[in-house]
Amino acid sequence: MFHWLEKHPFFFAVGVFVVFSWAGLIMILPTFTKASQPLVGTVPYTTLELAGRHIYVANNCSGCHSQLIRPFKNETDRYGDYAKSGEFAYDRPFLWGSKRTGPDLMRVGNYRTTDWHENHMKDPAGIVPGSIMPAYRWMFTKLADLDTAYAEQLTVQAAFAVPYNKPLPAKDGGTNMVKLADTLEGAKASALAEARTVAADMKDQDVKDLIAQGEVPEIVALIAYLNRLK
Amino acid sequence: MNKLVLVGIVFVTLLLGATFLMLGDGVGANDTMLQLGIAGAVAIAVISTFVSIKYIRQMQTDTASGELADENWDGIGEYKNEPPFGWAISFLALTIWAIWYMLAGYPVQSYSQIGEYNEEVAEHDKTFAATHANMDAATKVEMGESVFIVQCAPCHGLSADGIDGKAANLNKRLDAVAVKNAIIHGSNNHLLGSEMPMPDRNGLFNANSGALISDAEINAVSAYVSNGMSGSGADVFAGTCAGCHGSDGKGMAGVAPSIANYNPELVSNILAYGKKGAMGTMPSFNNLNKTQIEALGAYVTSLSSK
Amino acid sequence: MENRPLEYDYTVAKLWMISAIVLGIVGMLIGVILAWQLAFPGVNLLLGEGLAEYTSFGRLRPLHTDAVIYGFTVSGIMATWYYVGQRVLKVSMAESKFLMVTAKIQFWLYAIGVVLIVVSLLFGLSQGKEYAEFIWPIDIAIVIIWVLWGVQIFGLIGIRREKTIYISIWYYIASFLAVSALYIFNNMAIPTYFASGGIGSIFHSVSMYAGTNDALVQWWFGHNAVGFVLTVPIIAMIYYFLPKESGQAIYSYKLSLLAFWGLVFTYVWAGGHHLIFATTPDWMQTMGSVFSVILILPSWGSAINMLLTMKGEWNQVATNPLIKFMVLASTFYMFSTLEGPIQAIKSVNALAHFTEWIVGHVHDGALGWVVFMIIAAMLHMAPRVYGREIYSKSLLNTQFWLQTLGVTLYFTSMWIAGITQGMMWRAHDEFGNLAYSFIDSVIALEPFYIIRAVGGTIYLIGMFIWAYNMYKTATAGRRVEANELQNTSPMAS
Ligand code: HEC
Ligand code: HEC
Ligand code: HEC
Ligand code: HEM
Ligand code: HEM
Ligand SMILES: [Ca+2]
Ligand SMILES: [Ca+2]
Ligand SMILES: [Cu+2]
Repeated sequence: MFHWLEKHPFFFAVGVFVVFSWAGLIMILPTFTKASQPLVGTVPYTTLELAGRHIYVANNCSGCHSQLIRPFKNETDRYGDYAKSGEFAYDRPFLWGSKRTGPDLMRVGNYRTTDWHENHMKDPAGIVPGSIMPAYRWMFTKLADLDTAYAEQLTVQAAFAVPYNKPLPAKDGGTNMVKLADTLEGAKASALAEARTVAADMKDQDVKDLIAQGEVPEIVALIAYLNRLK
Repeated sequence: MNKLVLVGIVFVTLLLGATFLMLGDGVGANDTMLQLGIAGAVAIAVISTFVSIKYIRQMQTDTASGELADENWDGIGEYKNEPPFGWAISFLALTIWAIWYMLAGYPVQSYSQIGEYNEEVAEHDKTFAATHANMDAATKVEMGESVFIVQCAPCHGLSADGIDGKAANLNKRLDAVAVKNAIIHGSNNHLLGSEMPMPDRNGLFNANSGALISDAEINAVSAYVSNGMSGSGADVFAGTCAGCHGSDGKGMAGVAPSIANYNPELVSNILAYGKKGAMGTMPSFNNLNKTQIEALGAYVTSLSSK
Repeated sequence: MENRPLEYDYTVAKLWMISAIVLGIVGMLIGVILAWQLAFPGVNLLLGEGLAEYTSFGRLRPLHTDAVIYGFTVSGIMATWYYVGQRVLKVSMAESKFLMVTAKIQFWLYAIGVVLIVVSLLFGLSQGKEYAEFIWPIDIAIVIIWVLWGVQIFGLIGIRREKTIYISIWYYIASFLAVSALYIFNNMAIPTYFASGGIGSIFHSVSMYAGTNDALVQWWFGHNAVGFVLTVPIIAMIYYFLPKESGQAIYSYKLSLLAFWGLVFTYVWAGGHHLIFATTPDWMQTMGSVFSVILILPSWGSAINMLLTMKGEWNQVATNPLIKFMVLASTFYMFSTLEGPIQAIKSVNALAHFTEWIVGHVHDGALGWVVFMIIAAMLHMAPRVYGREIYSKSLLNTQFWLQTLGVTLYFTSMWIAGITQGMMWRAHDEFGNLAYSFIDSVIALEPFYIIRAVGGTIYLIGMFIWAYNMYKTATAGRRVEANELQNTSPMAS
């Protein structure tokens, strides 16, 4: 039979395709709907956080940092509770990473704070002697792209029914709501308000100046994102 | 012995030897995953080296033989040899094993990674509690130091000096800046473990002068506190602060915390609620257990009482 | 007609050879820079503070992986396809104007794509998934380029003279089909500019899948991308170039057959091994482990078939550097296809995942297998496409030993580094608390980062020697007669 296939390349190709693809379906399909249900307490990203997430992607922090705490005692001791599927329900793309040149960041918001990130992103080895993480000084002056973040929010709301402006169950039994403005101006205004609360804990003069002018530097958005990783 | 086999042995020994050298006593640790990992490394090195050597020797000694197929592509022929027996039998055996494992072995075992994790944690907690039930003071400090290096050093530095004012210097109870900040802005950090704020300067009377505390007095008392309760601001302290913090500054239960020295209770409150101040924000820690918190308390207290 | 030797047309193969050499050097140069950055973070500022954004590790890393995979390796695949395809199907590209034109379009489209990719990655335009970073417009271009390759494969097959398709062709077909499906599904995304009615960046898109699902699709892709880009087409190469260069017949047809269908069948199931102890269902992880272990056999099947093809030919292994490259490539292939499955066993993966040991595994395969094989293939092709003998055998031997040393330094250092790192993360002290802070584990790796960087640099020097040798072969080698080109490639000492 195989020799026949080798004389009939079309059927050969069909054979290869069949053998190849059915395993793929079995691997992916069965859990597709189940895995995408958000866990209680998990909420969609705000405009500012999402802009920060884009900066995280653009600089490929995932090349060095995972965001996936495995269920081992040593990992939960170091990073906090192990990861659950529903916690990633709003992550597009997922950012688990595959390499830990630096520590896991899935819950870094629990044990690092704005001012620490500010110092660390400016000069990692100055805070953690021996660190090999690059410094990200340009983020203190380069502006975050809030427009694209807002565009993504609109897209996921329309395409995947991501629940903006809806009360969502919170861990403490109450509800949370993530607001999404109707207009780009509105979205930028609320992002700026959020940025002000973050920048209030920062000391960098460039950042303070930009915020005062109504602009949002990348570092503020990035820190807003890191703080929300809990 | 063949030269090749010798080379193989040397290679494997060097590679594994260097690995063991790096790992030190870690290899002996009671950690099955680590041991299995190392067993895997040994298997990779040994099997692939010696299987390759087997075939290289065949290149050196055997000759090609067998019946050639009729076809030929751009001059490349093909023998009709059977696959090597060892290979074929391993393939078959592994396939049967896999089918058995997926259909029978695995479901029966009903493994759950979270279940295993819970067991691991329960086991760990049990031995941990048993081992540390009655720690003496020195051991507590020692354990506290070890937790500190992992959890706190990234902010406070290895020597707990606060890395140039980026976090609190724990070798000393309070800097003048911190005291001044607390007086001017008040303090609301659950340092007593409850919602019990300290008023800001508009609520701080100096009983000696009968007026609100003045700028000069703030500077004086800040220096006094940060100098370890000594120097010239003593009268301001007595008049303004002692009512709550006690005449020695060591605090009063339920009223105000000690500002003269650290104590384990203060540290444990800071760990529970975090702390926001002049230098920045310290996060709260809810993933430490009671023993670890006590140990950190003992360690931090020991730093400034040397 | 049947008996007259065909004039094969290598115009397109030559273009791809050049691109493989250039992108190989660029990609590995970036790899070397990355390696030095991890050893000495100051290298992140290699072009100064002003350009730090473009030279920092995170930005450069995808440039490295994509340049070596989609640049160097894919160019190598194409170069060999446009050479091997004609010869084993016994038909010349010159016989079909259509194929010739589409092949050229394919190449030039690819060349434009490369430029766009470099620029977009440097500017941080990325979809954020490993090996699928390219933004959506580039994804579309890539699909077109890939489909054009399919047109080539089936076009050439359609007009073939050799009825039965040779083993190499099986593997090229499998690579083409699998990568098409993988690439499209993993890159499914909605461009936000259009979906939001014209807000923000036109290049940005959002993945169709979220969280765990996205991870499943990603590693179904990622794993099989390794399989069908860094493995399957490379096997296609060795099945042609090793027997051709050595003049030996393939050891066993049955072994070829079992290894091929075994590999295509088993590969897909093994993808779960990238998500062990993640939030994917347990049965899926276990399936990934189990099938990874089975995968040793079909993988070793091809490698053993090649080594046995050289049975009794030790003199060739000793004297012909091309054969040396290929035999070592098979050996490294065996090494990495034993290492991978063992790393896929759950408890081993618990230690190895996220560590340098995985990076070591990657480069055993990449440097020892993929690069060695492509180098040997293109060296075999050079005298045939340029009609000149290989410029220098002694350079070739130097290159061989340098690169063997380089890859050995690379994988041994990352092996030790990875196991050390994994152990330090897990270690508890005598009290039962974590024994090391994260930075302890970073500092412990410094010597190994330096060794790896040295190894990588040596390997890169080998690449430069190769490029020089290829250039000289094309321009200055002694012209050869057709009868010198039967098997062993002619080369000057
Ligand atoms: C070259 C690799 C590398 C890159 C790229 C990198 N980091 Fe790091 N990162 C490290 C290392 C190593 C550490 C541990 C040492 C330290 O704390 O500086 C670290 C630590 C951190 C920490 C502290 C986590 C903790 O638990 O202490 C944060 C937060 C962080 N990085 C964020 C980022 C962000 C955000 C980016 C991208 C913009 C980034 N990193 C890019 C290597 C890297
Ligand atoms: C009305 C009672 C009261 C008076 C008067 C008072 N304090 Fe306090 N003080 C407190 C309380 C309560 C806290 C803890 C607040 C918290 O939880 O943050 C505190 C906290 C502090 C702290 C912060 C300790 C830390 O670790 O951050 C400092 C410093 C301090 N007091 C200094 C003073 C000085 C100096 C004076 C006099 C000028 C003074 N206090 C007067 C009640 C008082
Ligand atoms: C993300 C950084 C960070 C981490 C991690 C951290 N701290 Fe702090 N810590 C701070 C900062 C910043 C302050 C100073 C707050 C202020 O301005 O008063 C502080 C203050 C403190 C204080 C109060 C000092 C005083 O005199 O009032 C104690 C005690 C303390 N930390 C102990 C710890 C211990 C123990 C750990 C580890 C379990 C730890 N910290 C981890 C940042 C951190
Ligand atoms: C001179 C040769 C090379 C050097 C010095 C080199 C160096 C590096 C470095 C330093 C990294 C980053 C590792 C990390 O993040 O810890 C890396 C990653 C990678 N390289 Fe290379 N590389 C070289 C050649 C290649 C080749 C030829 C290929 C493929 C054909 C390749 C494929 C990869 C891949 C796939 C990764 C990502 C690994 C992962 O995420 O696990 N490299 N390389
Ligand atoms: C039998 C064959 C193989 C198996 C079962 C296998 C298995 C694995 C495993 C278990 C991982 C690590 C996943 C993780 O923990 O992160 C991995 C990673 C990897 N392997 Fe293999 N491997 C095989 C062959 C190869 C070959 C021949 C190559 C060729 C270069 C290769 C390239 C890679 C790459 C690039 C990665 C890194 C993926 C990432 O970025 O995380 N593998 N492989
Ligand atoms: Ca990776
Ligand atoms: Ca893409
Ligand atoms: Cu894989």
